[in-house]
Amino acid sequence: MKMESRSHEAHDASRVEVVSFRGLRVFVLMVVLVSCAVMFFTTDTSGARNGLIRGRVALRRAAPPAERRPTVAELGAPAERDRSDRRQSVVYLEAAPRGAFEQSEPGHAVMDQHNETFVPHLLAVTTGTIVAFPNSDRIYHNVFSLSKAARFDLGRYAVGRSKSLRFDRPGIVRVFCDIHSHMNAFILVFSHPFFAITDVEGRYRIDNVPPGNYNVIAWNEGLFSEPRPAAVPDGGATELDFVLR
Amino acid sequence: MRILPFRGRALGTLVTVVTLGASLPAAAQTLPNDPIVFGGGRVTIGGDVSATFSCADSDEVETGRCPGDGGFFNYTDYEHSALRMLRVGVTAAVKAGNRLSLLGELRSENAGTPQPYALYVRIRPWTSRAVDVQVGRVPPTFGAFARRTYPADNVVIGYPLAYQYLTSLRPDALPANADELLRMRGRGWRSNFSVGDTAPDRGLALVSAFRWDTGVQVHAANDFIDGAAAVTTGTLGNPLVGDDNAGKQVAGRIALRPTTGLIVGLSAARGPFLTRGASERAGAARGAGRFTQTGWGADLEFSRDYYLVRFETIVSDWRLPVINAPTIDLPLRAVSTLVEGRYKIRPGLYAAARLDHLGFSTITGSTRRDQWDAPVTRVELGGGFSLQRNLLLKLTFQHNTRAGGRVTRVNLGAAQIVFWL
Repeated sequence: MKMESRSHEAHDASRVEVVSFRGLRVFVLMVVLVSCAVMFFTTDTSGARNGLIRGRVALRRAAPPAERRPTVAELGAPAERDRSDRRQSVVYLEAAPRGAFEQSEPGHAVMDQHNETFVPHLLAVTTGTIVAFPNSDRIYHNVFSLSKAARFDLGRYAVGRSKSLRFDRPGIVRVFCDIHSHMNAFILVFSHPFFAITDVEGRYRIDNVPPGNYNVIAWNEGLFSEPRPAAVPDGGATELDFVLR
Repeated sequence: MRILPFRGRALGTLVTVVTLGASLPAAAQTLPNDPIVFGGGRVTIGGDVSATFSCADSDEVETGRCPGDGGFFNYTDYEHSALRMLRVGVTAAVKAGNRLSLLGELRSENAGTPQPYALYVRIRPWTSRAVDVQVGRVPPTFGAFARRTYPADNVVIGYPLAYQYLTSLRPDALPANADELLRMRGRGWRSNFSVGDTAPDRGLALVSAFRWDTGVQVHAANDFIDGAAAVTTGTLGNPLVGDDNAGKQVAGRIALRPTTGLIVGLSAARGPFLTRGASERAGAARGAGRFTQTGWGADLEFSRDYYLVRFETIVSDWRLPVINAPTIDLPLRAVSTLVEGRYKIRPGLYAAARLDHLGFSTITGSTRRDQWDAPVTRVELGGGFSLQRNLLLKLTFQHNTRAGGRVTRVNLGAAQIVFWL
C-alpha cells in the first residue's frame, strides 16, 4: 500500500510536470497566434511599405509681412514689433486613404502672441487638435476668427494668461487680434495627417504615405497650387516641387 | 503629427472622396484685409469707407417716409449730419529711415472734394527712445475720442456730444449782451450775433473731431505712462491751418496705464479762440489774447474679456469781451460727460450703449436767468455685426433731448456700414 502510495505520488508528480509542460506550450502557441494576428492587422497584408513625398515649394516672391495701418492718429510712433515669416507653406494630399481619418486622441499645439505677432504665423493641425493661445505681451490681445471652419472670440486677456480652443472642422482658419489689426495668422485644419509645413527654404517631407497615386497641393498665404499627381512607390520616396506666386 | 496605422493596399485603394479641396475654401475673406504696402515697406496706405443713414421719428420739422434729424442734434454744420454721411478716408505713411516719417490723411465727405485732414512729419530724434516730435497738421493732443480712427472703436454710430454738438458760440461773431446769447440757445448749427460776422453760421463744439490743428507736438512714452504736449494755431473747438488771431494754443495730456486694460488720461488746453476781426469789432483788439478757450479733460477706459467701458468728461471755459449790459457772466462754461460700454455677445456680434450729457453755466439776462445754451442729453443703444474682419454693420437707436430750442426731442434709428484696411 505504501509502495502504491509512493507510486501514485510519483505519478501524480509526473502529471504535474506534464501538465506544466503542456501549459507552457499552449502559452507559447497563444503568444504566436496573437502576434500573428497583430501583425496581420497592423501591417500591409500585401507586404507593401509606406513611402514618402518630399520636395520644395519655391516662392517667386514671399508675401510681405502685414504692416500696421498708417498710425496717423497716434501721438507718436508705435513700439517696434516682430515681423511674421510668411515664407513657410503647407503641402498636403488632396485626398487620403480612409484609414487616415481614424484618430484616437487630440493633439496639442501652441500659437503664442509675442511682440504683437502670432508665433508661429502658420500652424497645420489635424481635426480635434487643441490649440493654446498664450499672451506673452504686456498689453492686451484679443484673438478671434470669423472663418467658417472656426468662428470664435477669446476676449481680452493679459500677459501670462492663455486660452485654448479645439479645432474640429477641417478648413482654413484666419486668426486675428481685435485690438491690433496687423496681427494675423493661419491655422490649417486637416482631417488626415498627410501634410507638412515647409521650412523657410521651402523644403517639405510628408512621411508614412501608403503606396498609391495621389494629388498633392501646395498652399502659401491663401494661395493654392494646382493639384499635382504623385505616385508613391512601395517603401520609396517621390520628389515633387512646386512654384507659387 | 501622429501618424495613424493603415491596413495595407486593399484598404489603401479605398481612397475616400472627401477632399481637402472641398473643405479648404479658396479664400476665407473676400475683401482686402491689409493695408497696401510698397516701396520695400516704406510706403503704407490704408483707408476706410463708412456709409451712414438714419431716420427720425420726429414729425415736428420734417415729414416723409424717412425724416432727418430735425433738431440738428447730429449736425456738424448747417448742411451735414453725422448720421447721413458717406465718408471716404485714405491714410498714408511714408518712412524715410528710422527717424523720419511723413503721415497724412485725405478725407472726403458726401463725395465732396477730398480735404487734407492730417499732414505732418514725425521725427524720432533718438531711435532707442520712445520720443517723437510731430510737426504739421497733427493729431489732437486733448482727450481720447478724437484719436480713435479704427472705425470699430466708435462703439455706436453717433459722435460724443463734446466732439460734435455745436454750441451757439462762434469764433468770428460775438453776442453784444447776455440777452443776445440767450436768444441763441439750442441753435448752434446756425448761430448769429450782432458783433463781428453777422451772417448765420455754425457754432463751436467743445472739441472738434472733424478737423485737426496745426503746430508742433512732442510725445514720450513708456509701458506705464505717456505724455504729450503741443503748441498749435487754433483751439480745441476751432482747429486751424492758418492763424486768425496771432495766438497759440498750448495743450498737454498724460495717460497712465497702472494695469493691463486700464487707461487713465488727463488733458488740458488753453488758447485764444476769438478771431482778430471779432476782437476789433468788440473794441478789444489789444486784448485778443485774453479771449480764450480753456479745456480740461479726464478719461478712463477699462476692458477685460468681452467688455469695454469708457468714461470721459470735458470742461470748457470761454472768455469773451464784455460789450453791453446785461453783461455775460464769464467764463462761459460747458461740461460734457459720457459713459459708454460694449459687450461681445458672440464672435462678430456686440451690443453697445452710450449715455452722454452736455450742460452749460448760467447767465443772467434782462428778464431771465438761464443756462447760456440748452443742455442736451443723448442715449444711444445698438450693436455691431462683423460681416468679415474689416466689414462691420452697426445699427443703433438714438434718443436726444434738449431743454430749449425749437425741437426738444428727436429719436433716430441709424445704420452704418464700415469697411477699412
